Amino acid sequence: MLYSQWKWSRLIVFFGALAGFALPLVSLQGAARADRSPLAAQDLLRAVQSWGALYPILAAALGLLVAVATWAPDHQGRHVHALTLPLPRWRYVLLRFASGAVLLAIPVAAVLLGAVLATATATPPPGLQGYPLALGAHFALATAVAYAVFFAVSAGTARTAGIILAVGGALIVVQVVASTANVDIDLVSPLRFFILGWAGPFAIFTGRWMLVDV
Amino acid sequence: MCRRLYVLALLTAGLWRPVAGQATDLARLRSRADSLSREWTRANAIADLADSLERERAFAGRDTIAVGALRIVTNPSPLPVRAAAELAWPALDSLYGNAAQDLARHPYIIRAFDPDTSVPRPAVFVGIALPWDMTTQALAALLVANPPMPSPDQTLVSWLDGTLRPGRRAVEERTDVYVQLVTAPSTIVRACFLGALAACRAALELQRSGDALDLWYPGAAERRALVTRSFADYFNHGAGAASFQACAAGIDSVCKTLLLRLPAGTLPRPLDAEARTTLLRAALRLGGRDAYRRLLADPGAPMGDRVATAADAALDTVLAGWRREILAARPPSVALPWWAVSLALAWATLFAACALRSSRWRLG
Repeated sequence: MLYSQWKWSRLIVFFGALAGFALPLVSLQGAARADRSPLAAQDLLRAVQSWGALYPILAAALGLLVAVATWAPDHQGRHVHALTLPLPRWRYVLLRFASGAVLLAIPVAAVLLGAVLATATATPPPGLQGYPLALGAHFALATAVAYAVFFAVSAGTARTAGIILAVGGALIVVQVVASTANVDIDLVSPLRFFILGWAGPFAIFTGRWMLVDV
Repeated sequence: MCRRLYVLALLTAGLWRPVAGQATDLARLRSRADSLSREWTRANAIADLADSLERERAFAGRDTIAVGALRIVTNPSPLPVRAAAELAWPALDSLYGNAAQDLARHPYIIRAFDPDTSVPRPAVFVGIALPWDMTTQALAALLVANPPMPSPDQTLVSWLDGTLRPGRRAVEERTDVYVQLVTAPSTIVRACFLGALAACRAALELQRSGDALDLWYPGAAERRALVTRSFADYFNHGAGAASFQACAAGIDSVCKTLLLRLPAGTLPRPLDAEARTTLLRAALRLGGRDAYRRLLADPGAPMGDRVATAADAALDTVLAGWRREILAARPPSVALPWWAVSLALAWATLFAACALRSSRWRLG
């Protein structure tokens, strides 16, 4: 199963690993130069912060694409192959989940390797420190959450996905209509708090994605 | 001869007319200025009278609440004045020490009003007008932020960029200063961060003498950065553009000349007011209950001496203690706390479990 999954998602994994490896190196570009002014700490932090916005995007994209690629052949074959296997469904799903997770470990390792390499070769100004392991762990967890969410959505029927989308869309429509009618209803803030708040499912995507910080 | 005299007379008459006109204008302007001055004096007298009458009225028929040396004169209302004063007094007492006793002679005057009434409030009044549904915490914060202490001398005010108030976010202020020490584009600030107390003294403007430009920005690179980043719009146009280009190309003498041409007081300070405030607070803590009085005792002394006198210690001791406090307030690391890791793993497991229980293949 792992081999077949690799065949379906190798391009995603390859480009994801490439981007993940390059991102930390690019974000610290110039910091390794000996002639870099130690006074440019603020510029360096600003650059690292700007590039840092790309880590959660990459994690979400990898989770989505690998989750979709994991189920795509089953959906195309109308699950005939899976049904012919002498396996209960939960075990089949678990194997699929595990194989996708193993493949995602490659871009996660690439980010970690890139971060370690970038901080090892850079000479940050005094007072600034590299956090390659923290960044790697953050990226790994964000990728895992994104993968699990999209894997769950892909594992369901189109009807389930439709219901989820419809509920989200209905909330937005109600909010827009309420705002237009001057009705004091705020659905977006509690929803945002539930999703992105400290205990929310996507809280891991928020916070500071800094490879170098004070 | 006659012709000469005629020309001379004409010239004299021609010159006399503008001079006479100027004299008239001057007299007119002088009379207008005098009239403005008279109006100003009269307006001031009326304002003083109104103020004094209002002050009389403000104290009449009011309650006086006393907590420590705090005195609050207020009209009867549900506003939680006493509870707020009990919260505010320790903060004021701990900062000003014995000087806080002066507050007994300078009461707060609070006019509590009904927030729901449509009755118009008087436009002229003494003190602070507050809605009586204010919370105790909000009122306490207001009392702490506006203590009616006598104003300190102008030297201290301009060094601090304001007046010293009890800090409600002292830890955050120290953390902000830590970030400044690490990121400020200044060699003396960096040296201060690394432990050079002489550099801290210069960065905090506690040097007895010396040119601000040489003290604050001793390096050619930082002077160039200052011109090209902070004052690019100021210098890079018109006649100054050539000098700006020369400075940007690395000619330090030109950078220095340009910076010396800046109006007084516009050269950016290496550290902002927060740094000096945290230093002063550290000195007052070190100096005990009479520290604030000692700080104000000699307004003519250099700031470094005043800080040392307030702390009743050598300036380097104060600076070393301040630096230790700032370094201890380092911002939390970007590493995820254990609970965030656990939550992310729990959510991933929950979504994976949802996939296991999905409806696909289920009959019916």
